[in-house]
Amino acid sequence: MAERVVLVGYGMVGARFVEELLPSVRAGLVQLTVVGAEAAEAYNRVLLAEYAVGATERESLELTDSDEAREAGVRILTGTSVVEVRRSRRTVLLGDGEELPYDRLVLATGARAQVPTLEGIVRVRRDALRPPESAEELDSAGAPLPDGIMVMRDLTDAERLGQSVRAGARIVVLGAGVLGMELALAAVGAGAEVCVVYHDAGPMERNLDRGGAAVLARSARASGVAMVPHARAESIVFHEDEHGVRHFEALVCADGKQIAGDILVVSCGVAARVELAGIAGLPVARGVLVDEELRSWADPDIYAIGDCAHVEPKPEGWGNASSSALPAGGPLGLIGAGWRQAEWLAARIEAELRTSVGSGLVDTPPLPPEHSAVVMLKAEKVDVVAVGNVHVDPWDEPDHAPGCSDAALSVAQWADPANGRYVSMVTRNGVLDAFVCVGMPRTAAELTLLFERGSELPADRSVLLRYDGPDYAVGLGCEEAFAPTSTVCWCNGVTAGQITDAVLAGCDTVARVGRETRAGSGCGGCKGRIGEILERNAPANAPL
Amino acid sequence: MGEADETAGAATHCPYCALQCAMFVRPTAVAAGEPAAVPEITGRDFPSNRGGLCKKGWTAAELLVSPERILEPMIREGDGFRAASWPEALDRIADQLREIRAVSGADAVGVFGGGGLTNEKAYQLGKFARLALGTSRIDYNGRFCMASAAAAGNRAFGVDRGLPFPLEHLDDAETILLLGTNVAETMPPFIGHLEGARAAGGLIVVDPRRSATARLTDDGAGIHLQPAPGTDLVLLLGLIHIVIELGLTDRAYLDSRTTGFEKLRRSVSRWWPQRVQEHTGVPVATLRDVARRLASGRAYILTGRGVEQHVDGTDTVTTAINLALVLGLVGTPDSGYGTLTGQGNGQGGREHGQKSDQLPGYRKITDPEARAHVAGVWGVAPESLPGPGVPAVELLASMGREGGIRALLVHGSNVVVSAPDAARVREGLAALELLVVSDFFFSETAALADIVLPVTQWAEEEGTMTSLEGRVLRRRRALAPPPEVRSELWILRELAARLDAPGVYSDDASEVFDELCRASAGGPADYSGLSHELLDSGIAAHWPFPAGSTGTPRLFLDSFAHADGLARIVPVQPRARVAPAQRDGVMTLITGRLLSHYQSGAQTRRVPELLASEPVAQATLHPAAAERFGLVDGDSVEVSNSRGTVRCQVRVSADIRYDTVFMPFHFAGEQSANLLTEAITDPISGMPEFKQTTVQVRAVRAMEDRGAAADSAAVVGAVLEADLVG
Repeated sequence: MAERVVLVGYGMVGARFVEELLPSVRAGLVQLTVVGAEAAEAYNRVLLAEYAVGATERESLELTDSDEAREAGVRILTGTSVVEVRRSRRTVLLGDGEELPYDRLVLATGARAQVPTLEGIVRVRRDALRPPESAEELDSAGAPLPDGIMVMRDLTDAERLGQSVRAGARIVVLGAGVLGMELALAAVGAGAEVCVVYHDAGPMERNLDRGGAAVLARSARASGVAMVPHARAESIVFHEDEHGVRHFEALVCADGKQIAGDILVVSCGVAARVELAGIAGLPVARGVLVDEELRSWADPDIYAIGDCAHVEPKPEGWGNASSSALPAGGPLGLIGAGWRQAEWLAARIEAELRTSVGSGLVDTPPLPPEHSAVVMLKAEKVDVVAVGNVHVDPWDEPDHAPGCSDAALSVAQWADPANGRYVSMVTRNGVLDAFVCVGMPRTAAELTLLFERGSELPADRSVLLRYDGPDYAVGLGCEEAFAPTSTVCWCNGVTAGQITDAVLAGCDTVARVGRETRAGSGCGGCKGRIGEILERNAPANAPL
Repeated sequence: MGEADETAGAATHCPYCALQCAMFVRPTAVAAGEPAAVPEITGRDFPSNRGGLCKKGWTAAELLVSPERILEPMIREGDGFRAASWPEALDRIADQLREIRAVSGADAVGVFGGGGLTNEKAYQLGKFARLALGTSRIDYNGRFCMASAAAAGNRAFGVDRGLPFPLEHLDDAETILLLGTNVAETMPPFIGHLEGARAAGGLIVVDPRRSATARLTDDGAGIHLQPAPGTDLVLLLGLIHIVIELGLTDRAYLDSRTTGFEKLRRSVSRWWPQRVQEHTGVPVATLRDVARRLASGRAYILTGRGVEQHVDGTDTVTTAINLALVLGLVGTPDSGYGTLTGQGNGQGGREHGQKSDQLPGYRKITDPEARAHVAGVWGVAPESLPGPGVPAVELLASMGREGGIRALLVHGSNVVVSAPDAARVREGLAALELLVVSDFFFSETAALADIVLPVTQWAEEEGTMTSLEGRVLRRRRALAPPPEVRSELWILRELAARLDAPGVYSDDASEVFDELCRASAGGPADYSGLSHELLDSGIAAHWPFPAGSTGTPRLFLDSFAHADGLARIVPVQPRARVAPAQRDGVMTLITGRLLSHYQSGAQTRRVPELLASEPVAQATLHPAAAERFGLVDGDSVEVSNSRGTVRCQVRVSADIRYDTVFMPFHFAGEQSANLLTEAITDPISGMPEFKQTTVQVRAVRAMEDRGAAADSAAVVGAVLEADLVG
């Protein structure tokens, strides 16, 4: 009998899991049911900001072929919430009362936008709540945000923001993380008036050091975004319309500053949707706690992947009263890791099912551990790429403990804020441990490759800065083009030196040079340059 | 024109690459008793080369009178060879082949062909293998060359003609995207056709090296993208993503001429530009520029071996085709997609039956109708034809193995140098009971043979070649071959007779061509309206050229070759390949060609002028990489991995990526790049991975005199870069 797999969540990671599991479904090994809370089929959440400002079409967000999955026999329920996991019966209860049995349950419930405590917004304590039966209320939990205040997490959010942008609204973005900055830059690019309000001294505080943040802030201002640092948001001022409905009016900061706007977009990070797991008694920290095989610490039939999964090795003897401390860390929050998990888990399940009749020994390679994920700001004209702990100063004294075997960190930097450029490379043994790169796209791309592969940097780090230099992209300078070793005729591999020799030996026309050296006797594209060499060596120009 | 008057010479084409530059070869008269002089070569006006030739072409005639030429059949005797008569050599081959077949079955004999053979030879070789030997084990070196592009072209369009439009149409292009091809060195006269695009600022070159071709984009002539090796597929997926994102697709075209776009659209959603930058090293802004440029009209996308010679080569070409299709380029009057065929007859060589899965006319050997038609032309029963064989890498891997081949006939190929994992190929050849090589010289493969048969060179024979634009060209005899040198057509006829083979084997190229045309009738590559006589009238004959037609200069104007007339958009995804950490000397090796050499170098290394200009293999390293290894230009370097070790010279150049080492594959012995490449292949095309090999690089000897200087440089570096603990 086919293994009954129930997937909760049909976002980017869930959809990838379905795609990867399709061969098992087609082979009759798996009977797959997908329960997604959103009404729409899986779409590309990464591109929501672009979609909101009209930089891309709705259909470009389509990510997967749900019909193909249905044809293969997958049951896909959208707009449906799971309200309870009944572990003892191995079923899930849906909002509409249906009870679905499972042999394996995969949680891919993702994360929701976090809304900080602000006077004027109702706080919801979710982990004690049973999820609402109506899927639409999954995140609002019966306490929707007041009019004019929103988060950016799904299609509905993007469409609302799009209306505001098109209507020429003033947009206040609370939070200058990567999502907030992307949103602000996209909206300002689409003609909106945008102000970013944030707590720290610089934007993307988690990802950037002081130099990187300063250059980004400058670039954002140059693009037209108003940047308001050091702002501790405290409360909201509303105005009431004639129907008594409250609308956002202004954000009030601790120092009394009021930032007025038509719409407030809260971009203060995300939190995993863990309540389903929590109520079912599964251990939960920043996400659903799963081991290196993505299995819940407490229930081997339940898995978690993507933004809701907190991968940590299960401690030895976990479950005893004495060792119940929960680990630090949390979900990585980047799509690459989630997709790798989806891919790995589908392969793993297939392998287990294919071998379960036999020896029971499953030989699949383990899921490789994720290292820090590279963060890249998506914006047309502002290039920011960063990874790892970049809060290291080149002039810090090494505090090497004697006998410590760890190699020291080295930092090399380049700062040119007036031109919007900043690079900091933090290396250990010549290999990148962290870096930040602003305003130098080609360098950033190469640093990313070097980081991802754990490759050794050139001893002279400045080599990497040249990629964005004018000397790199532009071809030979005029003088260099006539250097003796420079090839003039590619068809015949004839250098400027050989042509000059022929000219000095008496060849006084392009044709004669060609007969002597074969230069120009291929495609003929170099005849102009041969002519120039002739001119340079003409008797009138000869040095006296 | 008719028969060549030998003293007057003949109008023919260059012996080397698929551009097939037109030339005139005229024998140089010498007094009786004098050694033969080098015939004279002059360029001939033709749409492809417009009278120009590259240095390979200009010097091609030197090989006709080379002192190294093999002038009689040679039979191995101990460590050397002795001259033998033709009857002795042929009798011995036939006897041994008969015996091996009797003991181990027909499939114990293998045949390895080449993309440099004329259409007539390729055709007759395929027929000989199937009828005279009865073996399915035939394949050819085009498997290392065009197989991925061919598979992708067939999958998308239902037919594979390298350039499905006349070459000179490129002159009017405003944008040309060159993917993994260095035409400025490999077929230099071709770059004349890039002038229009360069003038419009629209030449876009994708290459990990700042190659001679990439430099043609300088000074505003275009854009050079320098992705990390092996990331072409992701780069192309990203370009499709951007084309869709920016609304640059041609919707009307997609609706009326293609099928599969919806699936493609969803499949590329996951390759947003920043993610592509992360994988390829190409900045998002550059990707967007390229996408916009490609959508601006009169654009061509051309692929070369750089993107094709991968384990995912077919999928990579498919993605290039998908990009061309979403932009609506293919099958329109002024845009298109094409692949740049490499070998002289790389196009014709893949059409007429020397591929393991194929019968003449580009027919499938598994198709009952195709078998019936070809068997009819050959006068045998369809059931007597063997089924599909195995692709080249697998064929070579089976040498001397249980159930593998025990004898191999090699024509127009030098597998010891050109096949991946060359050391294993050498071992395999040594394990054979019979190796017969037909060649002009003792190539590295011929040197290992049991019997070597001396064959005619290009200027000594009649035949046809099909160029990179699918144009059938006449190769003409300009002079007589040495007395004991024979054409492969004659050799196959003689062997067929000794093996009591059914069917007719002519040694007259014109007769063989007529039969080829009949065998190709109704197939995708239909030559049935052609003859040597018609070609000699000077027509521009682009296939398909069915009887009664005037040929097809531009394909797909009305429909594609699938039954429903639509092009297939096939969504693909890259398979995960882990790039190893590049430290402690680990780098990625890519291989390619040089201006002065051709393929395995068996010919060009014997032309003094060509050898003098590029005498040895050089491994190109970025200055920063060279510095890491303590190497300077001209030093000796060792490049190795588990398969082999290459020792050669270093060339230091900022034109290559810092993480990549480039080596030409024209050299032999310890300079042979293919000692390092791996015999893993594309599951669809059988193409080996030539362009992404992990190697270890190290300096051969420590340079003591420079050691001190390097140390002091390191100290300076340490001072500038403050150290601290993490």
